[in-house]
Amino acid sequence: MAIRYWQMAAAAVGFRLVLVLFGGDLHLASRPEVSTPLTSLRRLAEGYWLKQASVSPYSGSMYHGSPLLLSILGPLTNSRPDGHHAHIYCSLIFVAVDFLAAMLIRATGHKLQMARNRSLKSLDLTKAVNDSVNVSAGDVASLIYLWNPWAIVTCVGSCTSPIENLMVVIMIYGACSRLAPLAAFGYVMATHLSLYPAILIVPVILLLGYGPDAPPPKVFLIKGSSASKSDESDNDKTTRQRVVQQFSWKPVLHFIFWLFIWSCHVLLLSSVILKKVGGLHEMFEKTYGFILTVKDLSPNIGVLWYFFAEVFDFFRNFFLIVFNMNIIFVVLPLAIRLKHRPCFLAFVYTAIVAILKSYPSAGDSALYLGLLGLFVNELAEMQFTFFLFFGYIGVSLLSPVMHNLWIWRGTGNANFYFATGLAYTCLQTVLLVESCAHRETRPSSLLPTCQAIYSSVAEPIKS
Amino acid sequence: MEYIVGLLCRSGSANPLFSTEDAIEANRFMKGIEAVAGDSRGVIGMANFIAQQIEALGAEVCYHKFLPHSKNFHPLKFFTSMTNDIAVQPNGTATNFGINTIGIVRAPRGDGKEAIVLVTPYNSQRVQSNELLSLALGFSVFSLLSQAAWLSKDVVWLSADSQFGEYAAVSAWLNQYHNPVFLSHSVVLHTKMYGANHIYDGNSEKTEVTAFKRAGTMAAALIFKVGETRRYSDRDSVMIYAEASNGQMPNLDLLNVVHYLAVHRQGFRVNIAAFSSLLSSAWLRVIAEILHTLGSVLRKINPDWKLDIAVPDYVEGTANLANSMYNQALGVPTGSHGAFRDYQVDAVSLEFSPTFHVKNENAKSLFLLRGGRLIEGVSRSVNNLLEKFHQSFFLYFLTAPSKFISVGVYMIPFALLLAPLPIVAAALADGSRSMEKTVDKLIDNGKADDIADILQSKGGSWKWLRAAKVLLVIQLWAVLVSLLPYYITQIPDATPMQSALIWAVLSIVVLISLSVLFGSPYSAGVEWKLLKATMITSISIGLGLMSIINFATAQLGALIVIPMCLFSRPLKASGMNFLPRAVLLASNIAFAVLGFPPAALLIMKGVSKGSWSWTIDVGDFWVWMEFLWEWSSATYLYLFLVHLPCWLLCILVLLHPCRQSESKMKQE
Repeated sequence: MAIRYWQMAAAAVGFRLVLVLFGGDLHLASRPEVSTPLTSLRRLAEGYWLKQASVSPYSGSMYHGSPLLLSILGPLTNSRPDGHHAHIYCSLIFVAVDFLAAMLIRATGHKLQMARNRSLKSLDLTKAVNDSVNVSAGDVASLIYLWNPWAIVTCVGSCTSPIENLMVVIMIYGACSRLAPLAAFGYVMATHLSLYPAILIVPVILLLGYGPDAPPPKVFLIKGSSASKSDESDNDKTTRQRVVQQFSWKPVLHFIFWLFIWSCHVLLLSSVILKKVGGLHEMFEKTYGFILTVKDLSPNIGVLWYFFAEVFDFFRNFFLIVFNMNIIFVVLPLAIRLKHRPCFLAFVYTAIVAILKSYPSAGDSALYLGLLGLFVNELAEMQFTFFLFFGYIGVSLLSPVMHNLWIWRGTGNANFYFATGLAYTCLQTVLLVESCAHRETRPSSLLPTCQAIYSSVAEPIKS
Repeated sequence: MEYIVGLLCRSGSANPLFSTEDAIEANRFMKGIEAVAGDSRGVIGMANFIAQQIEALGAEVCYHKFLPHSKNFHPLKFFTSMTNDIAVQPNGTATNFGINTIGIVRAPRGDGKEAIVLVTPYNSQRVQSNELLSLALGFSVFSLLSQAAWLSKDVVWLSADSQFGEYAAVSAWLNQYHNPVFLSHSVVLHTKMYGANHIYDGNSEKTEVTAFKRAGTMAAALIFKVGETRRYSDRDSVMIYAEASNGQMPNLDLLNVVHYLAVHRQGFRVNIAAFSSLLSSAWLRVIAEILHTLGSVLRKINPDWKLDIAVPDYVEGTANLANSMYNQALGVPTGSHGAFRDYQVDAVSLEFSPTFHVKNENAKSLFLLRGGRLIEGVSRSVNNLLEKFHQSFFLYFLTAPSKFISVGVYMIPFALLLAPLPIVAAALADGSRSMEKTVDKLIDNGKADDIADILQSKGGSWKWLRAAKVLLVIQLWAVLVSLLPYYITQIPDATPMQSALIWAVLSIVVLISLSVLFGSPYSAGVEWKLLKATMITSISIGLGLMSIINFATAQLGALIVIPMCLFSRPLKASGMNFLPRAVLLASNIAFAVLGFPPAALLIMKGVSKGSWSWTIDVGDFWVWMEFLWEWSSATYLYLFLVHLPCWLLCILVLLHPCRQSESKMKQE
C-alpha cells in the first residue's frame, strides 16, 4: 500500500510538472473558475509592478491580496522565460506547495486514525480496530487532493489558491497534533490571505481542547456505567477517564498566545512592506473590504456576483449583511452538533466557506474534497455518491462551455453561466448535507461499536 | 413545424438609390479590370487597379498581404481559433502570397464605431468573367455608398484574393483586423523585401497605402459573388449560405432582410442548399402524399388545422432541412461567412446565379441594377440598426429561405430522447443497491461477527467507483486516440489508407496497454448494471454538452447512441424469454455495428453510392476525419470523446461475463 501510495503521489506531482513545463500556455489563468480577483497571479504581477514604481499596489482596484505574497511571489512574476508558461517559477512553487499540503493531509489522517484506534481500544473494541486499518484515510485523502483535477488546474493555472489551501491544512494539522504555534501560524496566515478561514477558530480550539475526533461522549458514559457494574480494577477506570477527555485549557491559551504573536508579526511585516506606498488601513480596506463588499461582479462559479449585479442599489447594503451573516449563522449550531468531531467540523466549515464566499474558485472545492477523504471510513455508506460524482464532472465540463457561449459566441447570456453556478452550489449543498447527515445518524464505524456495547449492556440485564 | 418570420427590418426597402448610372459605372469598371486581368502583371495588377478606382472615389484604401495558412491539427488549441499568429511570416521563402484590397468609406453621419463589411471574392490567379462581374457589382455598390449622405456606419469593401480559398483570405484579413500585430522595425523591413512593396511603384503615398486600416466594430457582413450562369432557369436566382463553424448561424433577421429584399423587391428566386438525392427520392414523396391526405382530412374536420402541406413543399422542405442539419452537424462553415462568425459578426454569403450570357450587355446591366439594389437595401437595413440584432434568433434550422425551425421546437424531441437516460441510470444504480439490501437481510439472519467482513466486501455505496474507474480509463483511451492523428500526420508521404491503418493499430495497442496498466475491466468484478448506469450517465453528460456546443451533432448522434445505450445487455445475461432475448440480441449487435464510426461511414457511403469498395473507404475515414479537425469542428471531439467511449462501453457490457451476479444469486 505504502509503495503504491508513493507511486501515485509521485505520478501526480510528475503530472503537474509536465503540465507546467511542457503544457505551454493553457490560458487557465483567464478562466473565471480558476482564478478570482483575489487569487489571480496576473493581478499580483500588476500589484508588484505598481509597488516597484513606488505606487500603492492597491491603487486602481487591480490587486487585492496580501502584501506578503507580493514580496514573496512578486519578484518571480517578473522573469518570464520564452516559450513557457507565463509564470513558470510561481507554478513550480505551487507544485511544491500542493505536495506539502498533501503530505500534511496524510499526516493529519494518520493522527486521526491513531486517535480513533485509541478511543476504540479504550472501548475494548480491538476487533473493530483491526478491521478498520484496511483503508488508510490519510493516504486516500492526500491522493484525492493530489489527483483532484480541480487541484491540478488550480496549481497549474497561476493563482495563489494553493498557498491559501496550504495554510488551512497547516492549521488543521497543527491543531490535530496539538502544536499550538503551528496551528496559530496556519490560522493567522490563512485568515490574512483570505479572511474566511477565520471561522475555523472554533474547530481549532475544539481540537486543541478536546483532541481529535472521537465517538460521542455518551458512548463512553454508557460503556463506563456498564463497566462499573462488573468488577474491574481501578487502573482501567482511570485510563478510561483519561480517554474521555475534558476540555483542557492549556493548549488553547498557548494557541491564543501564539495567535497574538503571529498576528503582530504579519501586521508588522505588512506595514514594513507597505511603508511609503499606502498603509495598513488601505490594505484592510482593499483586501477584507473588497471581500466583504463584493465589489467585483465579474462572473465566477459562485452565485453572489449574479445576485449583486441584479439587486437594486438601495438594497445592496442589506443583502451584503445578509450574505455575510449567512456564514456566521451556521457556525454556532454546527459547532454544538459536531463538537466531539472538530476535524469533521473543520471540513464542514471549509465546504460552507467554499459555497458562500464572495469569490469562490475551484481551488476552494479542491481543499474541502481533499479533507472529505479523511472521513472515507465513516462515509462509506453515504448516499447519492453516484449522482454527486457525475454531477461534479458534468458541472465542471458545462461551466466553461456556458461561459464560452455567453462571452465568446454571444448566443447565450449570463443566465446560462449562472445556471451552472446554481447547479454547482446545489451539488455542494447535497454533498455537505449528506455527509453531515450520514456522519451523524448512522456512523457505520460505530455500528460494531454500538452493537458490542449493546450486547455488553444487555447481557448482565438478561442474566 | 414551421414559422413564418414576423420581424423584418423594412427600412432597406425604401426607394433604392442604385440607378442605371451605377450600373454603367460597374460596366466601366469591369472593362477596366478585364484589361488589367489580361495583362501580365496578374495579382498585383488587379489589386492595383481596384485600389486606384477606390482612391478615385475619394475613399480610403489599403492592402492586406497574406500567406496561405497551413491548417494543422493542434491538440491543445482546438477551440482557440483566434490565434494571434502573424499572417505574413517574416522569414517565409514563399513567393506566392495573396493580396486583399480594402476600401473604406467613413460614414459622414457616424462616429466611426461601427462598420458594414461587403466582401467580393475573386481568384487573382485564374480570373473568370463571373468573378469580374461580382467585383464590378461590389465596386458599383461601394461607389454609390461612398456618395451617400445618410450613411451612419462605415462601409468596408474587401475584395478578397481567393487563390488559396475564399475562407483563407477572409479569415486572414479578419485576424489582422482584430488581432493587431506589432512587428519590430527589422521584421517590417524584411517583410517588405520579399513582399509587395512594388505594388505602388513610384507612388509617394506608398507608406500610407501599405498601412493596415480599420473601421469600427463590424455590425454585419455580406459576402456576394456571381456564380456560374444557369440557362435553364427562368429567373435570376440567389443562393444563401449561412452555416458557420460548429453549427453557428447568423442572426435570422439578416437572412430575413436578404430574403425579403431579394424576393419582394428585386424579383430574385432565393434558394438554400438542399440534398438533391432527397428531392428526387420516391419514398419521401410517398410520405409527403400520405401526410398531405391526412392533413386534408384533418382540415375537413377542423378548418383551422392547416396541416395539409403541399407535396412539393414538403419534399423540398425536408431536403432543405436535411441539408441544413447536415451542414450544422458537420461543423464546417459553408463559406467565408464562417470566418466572420468566429468574431461574432453576423454574416451571410449570397451567390447569384444569372440566367443570361455574359456577353449580353443589356441583361448584364439589368442584373447589375437588381443585384446592386439588393445589396444597397441590405446595407441600408444594417446601417439603420441602432443596436446589434437581438440575440434569441441564432439557433434554428432552415427549411426554406423564409421558414425555420426554432430552438424552442427542436429542443423538445431531443429532450424527450434524453429524458429516459437519467431515469434508467438511477434505476440501474438503485437496482444494484436493492441487491445489496437482500444481502443485508442475509446478514441480519447470520452471525454478527461477519458484519465487518461483509461491509468491507460490499464496498458500501461506493461500489460504482469500480465502474467509474473503467469509464475513466476508457475516456483516457479516447483522449489518446483523438490525439493520435497529430503524430500520424507527422509521418511524411503516408496515404490516407496507411494513416488510417496506423491509427487503428495504435488505438488497439493503446487500449491493450491501458488495460494491462489499470487491470482488465472485468477482473475487478464490475457489475454490468453499474457499468451500464455509468455509461448512460456519461453519455447524458456528453450529449447535454454537445447539444449546447452544436445541437445538430447532438441530435443526430443521439439517434444512434441512445438506443445503443438503452438496449445494451450482456449476451450471457439470463432471465428472459427466448423471443425478447433474441430481439434484444439482434438489436444489440446491429447497434454495435452501426455505432462504430468507421462502420457507420462505410454504410453511409455504401448506401449513397451503391458501391462497396472497402479499401478506399478505410482511407476515406481518415480523409473525413482530417477534414473535421482541419476546421476544428467540435463534431470530431464528439465522435472521439463521447461517441467512441460509449460504443466501447457498450461492447464491454455486451461481452460482460456476468460471473459475479450469478455467484451472488447462488449465495442467496
